[in-house]
Amino acid sequence: MSDKKHIDPNLVRELASILSDTGLSEIEVEHGELRLRLARTLTAAPVAATHVVHAPAPAHAPATPSASPAPTAPDHSKHPGAVPSPMVGTAYLSPEPGAPTFIKVGDTVSQGQTLMVVEAMKTFNPIPAPRAGKVIAILVDDAQPVEFGEPLVILE
Amino acid sequence: MFEKVLIANRGEIALRIHRACKEMGISTVAVHSTADADAMHVRLADESVCIGPPQAAKSYLHIPSIIAAAEITGAQAIHPGYGFLSENAKFAEIVTQHGLTFIGPTADHIRLMGDKIAAKQAAIDTGMPVVPGSDGGLASEAEAKKVAKKIGYPVLIKAAAGGGGRGMKVARSEEELGEAFSTARAEAKAAFGDDSVYMEKYLTHPRHIEIQVVADSHGNVIHLGERDCSLQRRHQKVLEEAPSPALNTDERARIGKVTADAIAKLGYLGVGTVEYLYEDGEFYFIEMNTRLQVEHPVTEMITGIDLVREQIRIADGAPLSVKQKDVKFIGHAIECRVNAENPQTFRPSPGRIEGFHPPGGLGVRLDSAIYAGYAIPPNYDSLIGKLIVHGRDRAECLMRLRRALNEMVITGVETTLPLFRDLMNEPDIINGDYSIHWLEKTLKAKAEAEN
Repeated sequence: MSDKKHIDPNLVRELASILSDTGLSEIEVEHGELRLRLARTLTAAPVAATHVVHAPAPAHAPATPSASPAPTAPDHSKHPGAVPSPMVGTAYLSPEPGAPTFIKVGDTVSQGQTLMVVEAMKTFNPIPAPRAGKVIAILVDDAQPVEFGEPLVILE
Repeated sequence: MFEKVLIANRGEIALRIHRACKEMGISTVAVHSTADADAMHVRLADESVCIGPPQAAKSYLHIPSIIAAAEITGAQAIHPGYGFLSENAKFAEIVTQHGLTFIGPTADHIRLMGDKIAAKQAAIDTGMPVVPGSDGGLASEAEAKKVAKKIGYPVLIKAAAGGGGRGMKVARSEEELGEAFSTARAEAKAAFGDDSVYMEKYLTHPRHIEIQVVADSHGNVIHLGERDCSLQRRHQKVLEEAPSPALNTDERARIGKVTADAIAKLGYLGVGTVEYLYEDGEFYFIEMNTRLQVEHPVTEMITGIDLVREQIRIADGAPLSVKQKDVKFIGHAIECRVNAENPQTFRPSPGRIEGFHPPGGLGVRLDSAIYAGYAIPPNYDSLIGKLIVHGRDRAECLMRLRRALNEMVITGVETTLPLFRDLMNEPDIINGDYSIHWLEKTLKAKAEAEN
């Protein structure tokens, strides 16, 4: 714990005054290797609102982890030619960075041909075409997070 | 402190964890199967990720999908809740290997306590009282007979890998031992893929009393008293209360200290529960649960300590927020597990909840993820809510519970609420005079009287 020597007592004093000024019960500061936690016992007085202010979450609209175009998503998932992701993970359109993509819009694919890969836990899972057809649309970007059941490609 | 936590669970416990996170200013990620797309934990979380189809094995139990969900959302820690992956040592290990924090104990402690024979040995080594029995696994029927003669009948044969009452058989005499031994082995093999069994003295009228412990990474360990979970059906807890009506202050302090000292010796981290059977003033170690338990709110109500908050703080390396001397037990709390089941046959009753009126008022807490219009999927367990009531003493608590049960309405599906309303009129419940066999005996007598 040689780091202790480098702790600036003025920093602690400053934090302590912030602690009492704001009415917070605990402050944690992290800077490089140094991590400092100041806490005091809660008194009966109510704690003032902290600086951590969160906008209330919209209860009826679960946020999606990606920036995928949500409004159009329902159309794609109902499309008879939609190929859904069999797993949650990160979709990659080419076998390795810089390489050509597995498919392009307008390509004709055969059944079992790899459309893209979805990575989960460092494993790249090929997504095969469920049937032969023409690629009408590719619905995800390279390195985009996808959920289970999210449409990836539309084949016709 | 963590900025974002992924909740690897569903139902009321997912919501319970979400609530603790929000009160700490932490963002939440809900994961869900396609059957839970409309679930309350998904609707309230800051982000949600669909991780698989309804089957738990392909969603809530599917480790790669949960890790992928954490990675794509940038969550720093994973809270496993109870059930599912909460006591899966491999999962805890994988989470850590991916640079994420598992909000729970170390994989080694999960593994140790998951092996019933090793757990009992650890209990002996750390000074926790245990039921007399075989020192390890039983190799043969002849060995079983020898051990049974030494400890005295009745005896219980249990699966080493067991839980939930499967692979457990009672032998009341030497004549019954052969069959109990072979049936327990066969059941253990079928249920857990491992036919190792061991033997314990069978207690005739024990209470189930468990001690809540909390340990941080700075060597601090405290106990938060006991919960009495003697009211059970098929080894499933139905109603829990704290403090136990059977213990006095001295017994509480003694078993609490013995347990906390043992947990310190183990070097355990996080919240945990040591389950004991209690009979005639003696405690006997059953097992240790290395997770948050369903009935944890009972302890929260009498101590004022938020156990999920403590879990998250401990996982982040913070010290316990209270010392043992600051832990005060105030009043009495009772929890009723409300299941979507027929209150007589206990047959599950999935379906759409048409009407829902939660009870309210002073000292009433309802931990539930249901709402009017919510469809209970048939894929998961039937717990739909926990009604927890607090009073200044046991009498006030019982009156308040009776009042709250009469206020609460759930229509559209069958629930166990009528069972709890009946229990409130039972003199043995009012007097706190019940063992772990009381509920099954009473239900059986009632069913026979009606036929």
